[in-house]
Amino acid sequence: MSLNTDISRVTRGIRFERGLRRYLRGLGGLGLFLAVWWVGAIMTQPSYLVPSPLDSARAFLGLFATSTAVVVPLLGSELVLPTGPAHLLETLFHYVPGLLLGAVSGISLGLAMGWNGTLDDWLRPLVRILRPIPPLAWIVFAIVWFGIHHAGAAFIVFIGAFWINFYGAYGGVENTPGELTDAASTLGVERDLSMLKLVALPSAAPQVLTAFRTSIGRSWMIVVGAELFGAPGVGYEIINASNNLAMATSVAYMFLISLAFLCMDVAFRLTERRVLSWH
Amino acid sequence: MALKGTEGSAATESRKIELRNVSKTYGTEEESVQALSDVSITVETGEFCCVVGESGCGKTTLLRTIAGLEEPSNGSVLIDGEEVTEPGLDRGMVFQEYALFPWRTVRENIRFGLERPACDCPDCAARVRELIDLVELGGFEEKYPNELSGGMKQRVGIARSLAVDPEILLMDEPFGSVDARTRDRLHSELLDIWEQTGQTVVFVTHDIDEAVTLADRVMVMDSDTGTVQSTVSVGLDRPRDRTDHGFVGYVARIRDEVASPANIS
Repeated sequence: MSLNTDISRVTRGIRFERGLRRYLRGLGGLGLFLAVWWVGAIMTQPSYLVPSPLDSARAFLGLFATSTAVVVPLLGSELVLPTGPAHLLETLFHYVPGLLLGAVSGISLGLAMGWNGTLDDWLRPLVRILRPIPPLAWIVFAIVWFGIHHAGAAFIVFIGAFWINFYGAYGGVENTPGELTDAASTLGVERDLSMLKLVALPSAAPQVLTAFRTSIGRSWMIVVGAELFGAPGVGYEIINASNNLAMATSVAYMFLISLAFLCMDVAFRLTERRVLSWH
Repeated sequence: MALKGTEGSAATESRKIELRNVSKTYGTEEESVQALSDVSITVETGEFCCVVGESGCGKTTLLRTIAGLEEPSNGSVLIDGEEVTEPGLDRGMVFQEYALFPWRTVRENIRFGLERPACDCPDCAARVRELIDLVELGGFEEKYPNELSGGMKQRVGIARSLAVDPEILLMDEPFGSVDARTRDRLHSELLDIWEQTGQTVVFVTHDIDEAVTLADRVMVMDSDTGTVQSTVSVGLDRPRDRTDHGFVGYVARIRDEVASPANIS
């Protein structure tokens, strides 16, 4: 057997071992966390302060044992689902429109400002002033303009998603390598919309997609924040349960959010890998 | 060697590129860098012309000015007697760091210039295939630039600029980052292409051996003044042998020119 195949077999073995070790360490970390949590739960009195892992797991299963009716906005029809998914769906009713609208308008303005110097001059100071305002600070306007329901919560998510995507697109277009626009202009592309479409946009794509992925996560934080003020959904259920001292149920909803986010993130990563196969 | 300018045309008509008193200054009034200072040169139709000089002596600026990517601060650049104001399909450019579009495959990169409405080729796919054969990249059509070696990337760069059939090829240290053996092969490929197409080539390099290997004429730029201080015609048959006595002589002569500052008051 040649040296090369020997080496490749050995490196494959090493890689497998390293993968296994990481996996085991990860499991160890999880186990340790569970143990600390459990001991903490046992030692803390009154017991509702720290619900035990077992109680939390039971509460999590409980989210699927009962069912709840959800009103579909715009359509007005009712859907009956297990309680957990039902409230998750309520959250999605403002999460998804807020995220998508925010992403589309943020990316559009970011591209426009990154590409057009005049527009950039006009809007840059305004952006500087508005950008630092935390999305949740807009809750007061969300309430007076839209009421504390889907539209109001969607508005808050919109603002959060808008800025993240704005900066992704803006930075991406601004960072277009000069040599690529040079190369394109020697190949007959004029410095106008076709340059944006043929060079700046594809060059910015990785940054735009990274920003969008960040906004998926950030929007979850924002949406839960908005729901703590009373919009229906998992965030509202977290505070609702804790008002009844059912802390295990709060924990169950927290894990439901984590699960929903993980699913979305994995799905997006897979799409991203396909779109950016060149990257 | 089939030169285009030999069809009995008058001397002025064989001038493909002409720079008249071109100066280029970067920066503000307080702090400025003079990259080009009163450069007047001509390049004949079908000529292979190399520009040598130390790094940072304005070679690249010279090339970019001819390409229309930089506007001269003073003077003018003429192509076929007409002043250059912007980049054009008559001048193809090959970049030092390749400047390939990383999101496009080899085939799509080469195709890029053929997708403009300004360029009407009857059969673009065939043209691209032809170019891929020309630069010997068969089998790599669907690879992305980050999957290619430096030498292969530059082959793509050359094919991409050749696609629109420019009359002038501007090359900015194109083989600066490929290994020596690959460079030798690319040199002979480039000379083959040049002889087939009869293009006018302006090739910037800091490597004097490379310049003598390729050029009909070598222009030496001075780093301090930003001027073309001298021009050496290389009277050797191709392919050229680097160990040849004449070759060594030309290299030594040009090296002396590069080392000695220009005698300009």
